[in-house]
Amino acid sequence: MVLAHGFGCDQSMWRFVAPVFAADHRVVLFDHSGCGASHPASWDPARHAELAGYVADLVEIVEDVADEPVILVGHSVSAVIALLAAAERPDLVDRLVLVGPSPRYIDDEGYRGGFSAEEIDELLETMDANYLGWTQAMAPVIVGNPDRPALGDELAEVFRRNDPAIARQFARVTFLGDNRADLARVRTPSLVVQSREDVIAPPSVGRYVHEHLPGSELVVIDSVGHCPNLSHPALLVGAMRDWLGAP
Amino acid sequence: MVMSRAERWVLAPVALLLLDSEGRVIDANDEFLRLLDVPDVEAVAGRRLADLLTVGGRIYWETHLGPRLHIEGRVDEVAVELRTPGGREPVLLTAIGREVRGEHLVEVAMLGARERSRFEQELVGARRAAEEAERRVRLLHGIAADLASVAGLDGVAWVLLRAAVTMLGAGDAALWTPQEGGPLRRWGGAAGVTAPTIDELAEAGVRADGTVVVPLRTAGALLGVLALEPRRAAGSEPVDLRTAAAAGQLAALALARATTHEQSVSVASELQGAMLSDGIVADPQVEIAACYRPGVHDLQVGGDWYDTFRVAPDVVALSVGDVVGRGLKAATAMGQLRTAVRAASDTGLPPEEVVERLDRFVDRTGTGFMASLVYGELDLREGVLRYTCAGHLPPLLVRADGSAGYLWEARSTPLGVRGTTPRVADTVTLAPGDLLLLFTDGVVERRDRPLALALDELAEIVTNALGAGLSGAELLEAVVARAPEDDDACLLAVRWLGPEASGVPATETSRVASADEEGAG
Repeated sequence: MVLAHGFGCDQSMWRFVAPVFAADHRVVLFDHSGCGASHPASWDPARHAELAGYVADLVEIVEDVADEPVILVGHSVSAVIALLAAAERPDLVDRLVLVGPSPRYIDDEGYRGGFSAEEIDELLETMDANYLGWTQAMAPVIVGNPDRPALGDELAEVFRRNDPAIARQFARVTFLGDNRADLARVRTPSLVVQSREDVIAPPSVGRYVHEHLPGSELVVIDSVGHCPNLSHPALLVGAMRDWLGAP
Repeated sequence: MVMSRAERWVLAPVALLLLDSEGRVIDANDEFLRLLDVPDVEAVAGRRLADLLTVGGRIYWETHLGPRLHIEGRVDEVAVELRTPGGREPVLLTAIGREVRGEHLVEVAMLGARERSRFEQELVGARRAAEEAERRVRLLHGIAADLASVAGLDGVAWVLLRAAVTMLGAGDAALWTPQEGGPLRRWGGAAGVTAPTIDELAEAGVRADGTVVVPLRTAGALLGVLALEPRRAAGSEPVDLRTAAAAGQLAALALARATTHEQSVSVASELQGAMLSDGIVADPQVEIAACYRPGVHDLQVGGDWYDTFRVAPDVVALSVGDVVGRGLKAATAMGQLRTAVRAASDTGLPPEEVVERLDRFVDRTGTGFMASLVYGELDLREGVLRYTCAGHLPPLLVRADGSAGYLWEARSTPLGVRGTTPRVADTVTLAPGDLLLLFTDGVVERRDRPLALALDELAEIVTNALGAGLSGAELLEAVVARAPEDDDACLLAVRWLGPEASGVPATETSRVASADEEGAG
């Protein structure tokens, strides 16, 4: 099982989910290039100017860590990255779990993504105002040891050197994309996990994904917010367990 | 009058909120209501804090702050904006998550930050401008360095088109350069990148589709036009006009340099071709073929030469040599040295003394220092060759019976270098049909293979070619085809046909791919 974190996060987003599945799966976590503890040199302004660069990264990771098709779990923008990876390399992906996916954030004719183009521009502006904040990683927990904050602080300094330009470009790639047409290309059985309330990927978007994604199942969990993997891990794990079946 | 602690919470000079585990407002104090410009708590109770923020703040809350609250238990000093009837209200937000009687609550404090926000925007703007300037300078440095590493028009065009995509953020790019008496010549780019209009030649600008078009000028002269089409993928940054225009200035200088360079190259290669053109002796007793193929790594001509001439009615002198360096200077030095060989040998001196005279010529003039040379004299009646190698690779001798070997005797130092051994010569007697191959190091030297191996391979190619009945010119073609492409290759093939060669096909003279045909690029 390969878990891919979303925009603004790193692999510690899975801290309440991954351990549960580690009992009966080989669980692989990673940080996207330019996020978390990824090597600074792995981020390439040209390669990562498009979602395709992240897709290629994910395909490489799966090829590298697994010798049979994997369960690919993607949160937020990584749900789309996982979708594209499965469309491109169906041989690598056994099943897809999409947590809070949105194929397009900006409203369009006959489509409600939840945001207007002006609002996304405003978002990019806000990122500039929180120049440092947007690049702060959740370092203290990456080491998984809140009792030793000194170690966390040390790492935090390392991670906070992340280039703000990277976060900004990742935001552009994430929020300006339109991958609605790609849904029909996916043949992998998939589970769409939707929060009951989510201002980033609202329930209508989750339903849209489910309706346009062949062979998908939609589960709305009783969670509020865009990160049920942190806020309501038990609900998410339950939905995944039910769909994946007994180990 | 002493207020209760609860009253103090309500009246505190800082906006305070209490949120439930889903981030909904349970309670808010007066300062918060004032900031948000709502009459009472009922107006916000039950609403999620994220919904009270501007969209940027909302996404920030959902993707960054919420997760951090869950993981770290608090966030500090975050700049967000409240949506109020009067517009955006910038605030600084600190939030702490607490477990209170089994319930997860979040306490939030906000401080109005209108002034600070304005100040910060200026700082951010200044910082971004500084970063942008630094990025642009670094980028232009990179392009300048790449442009400096190539010489010809081809190279400049290739570097520019590559830099457009890798450094200037273009998805596709095309370059047009003027050519004499014809339309603009196009380099690279898909059909979608259309040719510039007359107006676009005047000034750098942006087309409706985002393509940046930059005329490349130095001192008013138009040397090219660069078109940079933006990446089409969602979220891609546009091509920056200012950076593209600055890169265009570098490109124009490089194009000017390339044009000058190509002119000098064509002069040098014409000069070289002219100097080599008289180097083949015609005689029924000997078949002589020569070949000069310039290297491709650089458009400059090298200092290699071949030459044959008569020193007596029945004696033909052979020379193949290599002057250090490249370009016009090397070509003229080569011409002088080649003529000096003719002058030095004209007196009928033995080869080792010819080379000693050349040493003195080098000492006196400084021309041809460290040049290498193989010099020999072939007696056409007897088939006797006297030869000497000054720092040069040995000639290859392929016998008519198919056996082959290099002439490793008579070796000494390059010209102008006084070794401990004197200049020496050796004698070898040819049989009718034997072939001598004199060549420069460009024919065999390459980084990926030891010289001994390359020499073996050369001997094999020549032996096979002779076995297949190829003429001298065809043989040289076969050898050149296998020679490393990056260096100049100069060869001279001499086949002695015997004391009485009547009835044998006439002398063949040939120059395969001469410098003046290929050198101008």
